[in-house]
Amino acid sequence: MTSIKTKSLNIIGYPIHSLENNLMGMFKHIGQVLIIYYYTLKFIFQGKIDYKETFKQSYMIGVKSFFVVSITALFTGFAMSLQISRELVLFGADTAIGGVVSLALIREIGPITAGVMVAGRVGSSIAAELTTMMITEQIDALKVMKINPIEYLVVPRYMAGILMMPILSIYAMAVGLIAGIIVAQVAANVQPATFLDSVQQTILDRDFEVHFLKSFINATIIIIFSCNIGLHTRGGAEDVGIATTRAVVWSMTGIFIANYIVTALTFIPR
Amino acid sequence: MNEVNKNNLMLEVKNLKKSFGNREILKGISFSIKAGETVGIIGPSGCGKSTILKLLCNLIEPDGGEIIKYSNDISLVFQGSALLNSLTVKENLSLALRNKHLSKREEAEIIAEKLKLVGLSNFANSYPAQLSGGQQKRTSFARAIVIDPKIIFYDEPTTGLDPILSTIIEDYIITLSDQLRAAAIVVTHQLSTWTRTTDRLILLHAGEIKWQGKPQEALETADPYMRQFALSSRDGPILVG
Repeated sequence: MTSIKTKSLNIIGYPIHSLENNLMGMFKHIGQVLIIYYYTLKFIFQGKIDYKETFKQSYMIGVKSFFVVSITALFTGFAMSLQISRELVLFGADTAIGGVVSLALIREIGPITAGVMVAGRVGSSIAAELTTMMITEQIDALKVMKINPIEYLVVPRYMAGILMMPILSIYAMAVGLIAGIIVAQVAANVQPATFLDSVQQTILDRDFEVHFLKSFINATIIIIFSCNIGLHTRGGAEDVGIATTRAVVWSMTGIFIANYIVTALTFIPR
Repeated sequence: MNEVNKNNLMLEVKNLKKSFGNREILKGISFSIKAGETVGIIGPSGCGKSTILKLLCNLIEPDGGEIIKYSNDISLVFQGSALLNSLTVKENLSLALRNKHLSKREEAEIIAEKLKLVGLSNFANSYPAQLSGGQQKRTSFARAIVIDPKIIFYDEPTTGLDPILSTIIEDYIITLSDQLRAAAIVVTHQLSTWTRTTDRLILLHAGEIKWQGKPQEALETADPYMRQFALSSRDGPILVG
């Protein structure tokens, strides 16, 4: 009787214990993220910015991401325009194709595409680099030299992220739009001038504001989450891989959640 | 000048305690080091040698006790060099001088002098990955001494090196000790390193100091802990494994 009771308790207890551990881990991670972000902003407002390193990181984060963002945005634009064109043509609303495509691109697809690509390429790279630095005692070496790792490593990456992400997002939107124009002409026989006229009539200034707000938030999520994981991972080579995966998963999840929250808060019916 | 500085002390450790989880690593360690003195901390693996260095460098927090440092110019030579891979040799040294706010010319002169001292003048623009293990170790030395530290720590400086390179590294420790007149701690379990480089030895075991004395005395003492360690014997009070 006792053993059945113990077994039942174990069956119930294990998932509860596991859930408790996961929740505790999540809250700990969020707490660490907030601390790192606080110090990052503090150093920025104190003017402690290494401009040479920021420039170098801008190249790594921004310039080197252009190709992958181009490809992704191009095919996302193709697919989206194809779907929208076919549906709207059925309703005789082919002149609205440009507006619908551009609205989706500027409000959702542009920031998301650039964010996901940068999370995959840059977030993983930052987490791997910083974890390796932790494991090989390079971070300890900085501390012994009285150099704050957040000031030296996080601030330039964050500055580069918030500078380059809006550029990448707007670039992703532009590439997607070009793809949309091509497909709309081929699939629905909508002339580029008609397409662009529809874009002009649909897009408002506040759509750009939402676009840049999302880009800024995405950059913050990717850089701060990835740096935090890198600076708090210990162990060996295996842990570099685990940190990389965690950085990508946390960044992408954060991007999608934040994207929805911003959309919900900024949505105003036209 | 206070009483302690009259005694020429650079570092005092009083009743230092540290545990990791339920495992007590240091059970109340006390010692002091004078300027110009090199103290060797020896003991079997896992006895807390590197933990002491991490505590002294503020890399981890102690659970109890007190650490008094009479200078803020402190350097640590890491066991694995710990050079920043994205920076050149020159930039690694420059980073250590970052808080000194020197002019570019002054900084360049100091870096050139230290690189010459460790025989790496021709490698100033090389990246750590382009250097051999011995050259990386010497760069790590140069980075540690570039600020002319008053207190310097060496974490297993000769572990994993061939005998010739070990001798070269030991010679650097002796040279730097003479030139800098800094208080130094050498954490090691290499017999040649502690016999050649240190003025005084501390044997740690199970989180406690089991023996202290001069390196020459260590080889002749009847103390069972030191004797077992000096003779590299399996028989004795130190149980490994």
